[in-house]
Amino acid sequence: MSTLQLVVNGIVYSSVIVLGSIGLSLVYSIGNFANFAHGDTMAVGAFGALVVAIGVNDYLLNPETAVSVSPSIAAILETTLFSLPIWFFVALVVGMAAAAILVVITEYLVYRPLDTGSIELLITSIGVALAYRALLILGFGSDPQTYDIGRSGRIDWVSESLGVAITPRDVVTVAITAILVVGLHLLLQYTTLGRKMRATADNADLARVSGIRTGEIILAMWVIGAVLAAAGGVFLGLDTLIRPRMGFELLLLIFSAVILGGIGSVYGAMLGGFTIGMAFEMTAALPFVGTQYNAAVAFIVMIAILLVRPTGILGDDTT
Amino acid sequence: MSEQQSDDIGLTDRLDRLRIEPGNLGVSVLDLTAVGVFVLFLLLLVGVGVLSLNYGMYLLGLVGMYGFMVVGLNIQWGYAGLINFSVIAFWGIGAYAAALLTSPGSPHDILLSPVIALVVAIVVAAIVAVLIGIPTLRLRADYLAIASLGFAEVIRLLFLNEREWTAGSRGISGAPELFGWLPVEPVVRLLSAEASIGTARNTIVILGMLFVGYLLVRRIHRSPWGRVVRTIRGDEDLAKALGKNTYMMKMQAFVIGCVLMAVAGWFYMYAFQYLDPGELEPLQTFYVWVALILGGTGSDRGSIIGAVTIVAILEGTRFLNEIDLVVALFEAIPGITLNVSAVRLLLVGLLIIFVIRFRPQGLLPPKEELIWPGAASDDTQSRERQATREQRGVDE
Repeated sequence: MSTLQLVVNGIVYSSVIVLGSIGLSLVYSIGNFANFAHGDTMAVGAFGALVVAIGVNDYLLNPETAVSVSPSIAAILETTLFSLPIWFFVALVVGMAAAAILVVITEYLVYRPLDTGSIELLITSIGVALAYRALLILGFGSDPQTYDIGRSGRIDWVSESLGVAITPRDVVTVAITAILVVGLHLLLQYTTLGRKMRATADNADLARVSGIRTGEIILAMWVIGAVLAAAGGVFLGLDTLIRPRMGFELLLLIFSAVILGGIGSVYGAMLGGFTIGMAFEMTAALPFVGTQYNAAVAFIVMIAILLVRPTGILGDDTT
Repeated sequence: MSEQQSDDIGLTDRLDRLRIEPGNLGVSVLDLTAVGVFVLFLLLLVGVGVLSLNYGMYLLGLVGMYGFMVVGLNIQWGYAGLINFSVIAFWGIGAYAAALLTSPGSPHDILLSPVIALVVAIVVAAIVAVLIGIPTLRLRADYLAIASLGFAEVIRLLFLNEREWTAGSRGISGAPELFGWLPVEPVVRLLSAEASIGTARNTIVILGMLFVGYLLVRRIHRSPWGRVVRTIRGDEDLAKALGKNTYMMKMQAFVIGCVLMAVAGWFYMYAFQYLDPGELEPLQTFYVWVALILGGTGSDRGSIIGAVTIVAILEGTRFLNEIDLVVALFEAIPGITLNVSAVRLLLVGLLIIFVIRFRPQGLLPPKEELIWPGAASDDTQSRERQATREQRGVDE
């Protein structure tokens, strides 16, 4: 595989990691704890979208079921936008909503009643992660699944001119990630909610004294983090397979990304996510190291950063 | 107050400390009762016929193995406040040391004695623990959590993919007898004719080792070292201000804990005779965590109770699909299939959440057990106060 092809794969995979690490970083800076359930939140998003995919493919478009739709509506559902059926975008939104609802319920049931330190919250989040994963296995089984969208070929003019295979869904993944990241940037920098979030991250007590309702800010933090994480999960599911264990595998990578970027810095998390995603795919270019070790390479990068610059690239900056 | 009496007290105190009593060794009556109740319960189950004797002994051996891991984790998290999410990796180092060096199924064909494997397991686990500790122990507690979780995954990948060295997913089967010279057979035959001698020997070995290990751990927990390590957990800056090398102390706690986990893995190979990288699932680490926080973080007795509880949960949930009520319940909920491992996962996850919410100190929180026996009973305190008063009187 050419190096340029690896770069392209790296950018696509980075999108997933960036979307995951932003939420983790937000919880780190505003909620003040390492959320080990964040990977599984990404998996919840992927499975939320899977519900729509199953509903459309097995019921609405299946002429043998009672709820099958008329051919004209089926045609609308199958209309493609950037080579993806239109219902996929609905599924993406449903996945985001499912993850957001679940984390808000978790916040009210689990985290809010707890009056403990950040380490106890960390351990609690492990329990939350295991519970999420167990529910996913109980609901969907542990076998890998797909969204059942036919593979579209590569974009011809790109492979002719650059010799690189880029599929339309790669473009959609990167484009939607870019929109979400820019949207988050605008939200954090130019809206009142963003200013309140930054103030809470900086000093929660001072923020509360200034009249900011920090409880609402924490809810906003969960919703934003979950929406982005779910998008990342759906894109990974689109790229590879949807499995209950995908969240755990992602968790290590997004933690590496957050530490690399500097804990608590949202922009650092984006940068770290990009680097880790690239390192993950670039493992294929390393001599003597098989691709089965790509998760290990991300880990080595993290250990190296901890040794050299424990605060990360953009550590200790305010978000 | 005569001098005679105060001398007497001093002498009996000293004698008390010399005399080998369960209390002085660090085993209180309560511990013995708890263990006794558990053993009686097992015997009852065996007697009624719910459990076979062999399965009962197997369960006790499992308690011994989990006991080593929980006690080790307690040294790290309970004493020193170190979050280690790579319990299973150190367990795996021990297990693979035993498998590769002593098993006839090992790709290396070395067939050493289990004792050598134990030494190798301990040394390798200690070296690896130091290597993990160097970049992480100087930093905030959550860095170790993340790094150790990543490390566990790397170890799993190594054992899975380096087939020439570890046999990969094919696994290694067979293991020699553990301490074949122990005269177990006549004792076991007294109890039962059909009991398995191998299981009995393994169970006796691991419980004996756990007992010795427990006494040692209990001893260091009450030592000045233990006090400093507990201070670090409470307030590391304070310990530093008192001139303690907190990094070194944390490293020592981390290494001791990891070594105990490796011992548990070493035992596993002899008890189960088969090992493959599938055993290194990160979930196993969280079983040990549940055992510790449920038993009582920082409590040695709690660790043992936690080990008993987690074995009960893990082995108990195996039979879920044989209980009609549970099966009916799962059939009643649409869209859900009864998957025993998922139910166990859910149970473990909810246990973590509920314990931290409703009983963060665990079932047996550390209390008097941390005070040297006899050092802080009420009459000792008054005696000490009296002695001080008398001294002052002499000075005046």
